[in-house]
Amino acid sequence: MCLYKKICKRLILLFMTFWLSGCAPFTENNLIEEISPVTFLSISKGDEGKLKVSTIMPPLSKENKFVMSQEVSLLKEGVQKYNLNFYQEIKYGQMRMLLISDELGKDGIMSIINVLLTDPDISLRIYLVIVKGNFDEYLESQLDKDENFDYSFYRMLKHYEEKNQGELTVVNLHQFKNLLYTPYSDPFLPVFKIEEDGVNYEGTALFQDDKLVETISSLDDRIFQLINNNHYLSVLPIPEFEVVLGHVRSKIIVDIDSSYSTMTYTVKIDTRIEEYRGEKQLFDPKQLENMKKDIEIHLEKQTHELIKKMQELKVDPLQLGIQTKRPFSKPMEEKKWIEMFEKMDIKIKYKINIDPLTDANSKRQNF
Amino acid sequence: MFWKKKRIESKLAAQSIAESELSIEALKKSLVQMDDAEFVEIDVSDIRKIHLVYIRTLIDQEKLNESIIKPLTNCSKPDLQDCIVNSSIIPIPIFIEAKKQLFSGSILLFDSSQNLWLAVPLQNPIGRAIETSETETILFGAKDSFSEQIEQNITLIRRRLPIHELKAEKFTVGSMSETSVVLMYIEGLTNPDFVSTVKEKISEINFDLFFDSSQIAAFMEENQNSIFPQLQQTDRPDVVAYSLGLGKITLLVDNTPFALVAPITFFHLFQSPEDYINRWAVSSFLRILRYISFILSITLIPFYVALTTHHYQMIPIQTLLVLVDSRSKLPFTPFWEAFIMLIFIEIIKEASLRMPTKTGQTLGVIGGIVIGQAAVEAGFASNVLIVMVGISTIASFLIPNYLMTKANSFIQLMLLVFSSLFGIIGIALGIIAILAHLNSLSSIKQPYFSPVSPFFGKDWIDLFIRGPLDKMLERPKHLKPLKLKRYKTRR
Repeated sequence: MCLYKKICKRLILLFMTFWLSGCAPFTENNLIEEISPVTFLSISKGDEGKLKVSTIMPPLSKENKFVMSQEVSLLKEGVQKYNLNFYQEIKYGQMRMLLISDELGKDGIMSIINVLLTDPDISLRIYLVIVKGNFDEYLESQLDKDENFDYSFYRMLKHYEEKNQGELTVVNLHQFKNLLYTPYSDPFLPVFKIEEDGVNYEGTALFQDDKLVETISSLDDRIFQLINNNHYLSVLPIPEFEVVLGHVRSKIIVDIDSSYSTMTYTVKIDTRIEEYRGEKQLFDPKQLENMKKDIEIHLEKQTHELIKKMQELKVDPLQLGIQTKRPFSKPMEEKKWIEMFEKMDIKIKYKINIDPLTDANSKRQNF
Repeated sequence: MFWKKKRIESKLAAQSIAESELSIEALKKSLVQMDDAEFVEIDVSDIRKIHLVYIRTLIDQEKLNESIIKPLTNCSKPDLQDCIVNSSIIPIPIFIEAKKQLFSGSILLFDSSQNLWLAVPLQNPIGRAIETSETETILFGAKDSFSEQIEQNITLIRRRLPIHELKAEKFTVGSMSETSVVLMYIEGLTNPDFVSTVKEKISEINFDLFFDSSQIAAFMEENQNSIFPQLQQTDRPDVVAYSLGLGKITLLVDNTPFALVAPITFFHLFQSPEDYINRWAVSSFLRILRYISFILSITLIPFYVALTTHHYQMIPIQTLLVLVDSRSKLPFTPFWEAFIMLIFIEIIKEASLRMPTKTGQTLGVIGGIVIGQAAVEAGFASNVLIVMVGISTIASFLIPNYLMTKANSFIQLMLLVFSSLFGIIGIALGIIAILAHLNSLSSIKQPYFSPVSPFFGKDWIDLFIRGPLDKMLERPKHLKPLKLKRYKTRR
């Protein structure tokens, strides 16, 4: 009897361990050989307000692949329809990328983001990407050429995410969600364009809340990386002066006057000249100083235009609104800030420090 | 009633033999049908006749000629004890004592003129020489190891600890084997509780045959059902001497080359004698490596099974590419795949132990090819699993204690079952269960998981790392030594 009681006690304890820890006794079959974990989903606009969800099947394995797409009104419905058409069960757990078409982005992607956020299977580290053009067609054409197109695309995003390489904007779901829901900030996403030769990085998409409003590209995008996203660029070519700046690192100082009417935006840059094909004698300090001034003015102009564009669009991806926060005072309402931001006079100042370069020094005359 | 009467009768008969008078006839009667029992008569002089009684196989025949027969035949002295000079002589009064001496390798001398019985110990020295330890091999350091002769083993220890405080108390256990067990400890240093506990346990032993120290250990252990050894078995005299010096006790068992050292903790199983020979940084690194490889060897395959059956989300995508590819054509689920491979590895491990060395190589090659290549090519196992089985098996051999290596595979299988049922939560629960069990264990009534729990901070210098010797100024506190300091006076 005593032994029986003891065993009973132990069984109850074991049962409670699972019960109280919230472990469900009914688990899904996640056997790796019986499931198909998709690595990415591409979502675009379908007919009649529907969503077109497509991906490559089967993911990961080396079998013959095909593009599977479904027109559905709900995101999860798409995956359920996949299951009916494929011998393995589709799982979300290994999803790494979500490609959203720019048309859909313009309509707002809040609902999609929320679906992803509430699914515990989906990692918060999946990359969000805006795609311009017909991605499905491109996928079809790539199947024969590149077996692991999705994987190499993921590797590229991962590379530029780590250690802020400054080449691309890379945003994951967690960052996007934070930018979307925190006050004084608007999210942004990278934009890739489908062209004949492949998927090319175009620039950064600026969002007003969850709606895509503008894509900035080329020098604007570079400046955006420098002043906001990474604060680092490995190269910054400025063709106007036939110069390439390398290892550009920036420091931002923002100063708002007490009446919130003017803002001084100072960008301090440490860099060095990587390449120069112009006429100026760089080892002459005066000429170097002149060029520095030219670059400063050029960048100031460009940045001013960029911020002006933001002001017009009422988007604030630079999170300038944070500067209005003061200790021991109630934070300003976001709406009020955006109104103020629109009218604000923003002065841009660049201070460039060019480190002496060994190549330039080698040309120096002996004196 | 009848059987009770019979028992009393037999008791009486035994008493009568024990008390019966010591005589040649009585000895002959009890040694009947023993081919190696010898009864020899030597005429020393006309009047004196000396009877020699001995068991031929137990004594040293050459020595018998040299030190007994030769002196006796040339002896003219009246007293028998004066004739034999270079051997110890024990006078024996009763029959039982005579038999005991006879079977421990002594020669019985009977002088009929004086009616005097004497015993001269002349044990046969047959036995192994001192050889290098094969179970605890080290590259540097002392190479000698214990052999089967207990006296020789005590010598090896005494040479290392030439102090009068080193006590060696002898006990006899086993109603049939009459095995002598020697309890060694340093008086004034070792906690007397340990000594009394061990003495108590030895006195409680009630068993007939002992042929190895592990059987004695089984009677010393508080939890016999545990897979963890609660006494350390070692055949290295330097390990024993070092342990004695720290305040532990040692049990030497006759006819066994393995001494028992207690109390030990779980962490002792990861310490090798070489730790104290290498440079401290190096041996600390090796020690940490051993702990890591222990954890690796018990959890690597369970993790593989947990990830592939329950948590596909956690696998890095690079690995997933390989896994999906290699697993897609296998007939077994990850659990059965891993289970079969582990059992197979155990079979090979066990077989290679029993095989002669020359056939052992063939076994290795066949095992390697069958497990490594053929299993993958035939589609029985994935190559990822083969790599993991290899790593975890090799990692399990890093633990210096062989008994622990065996326990390792057992834990691994247990965790494997847990992981296939409950995934990573199962592994966590399994590890919690192991930790709880380790905490409940004790070695001669001392906690098995100290100095971690109960906590002794200063002992950590020789736990996961092996600190520099000049910093280890105190003996481990968890051993409760009577003298804590290891130095005489501070400089």
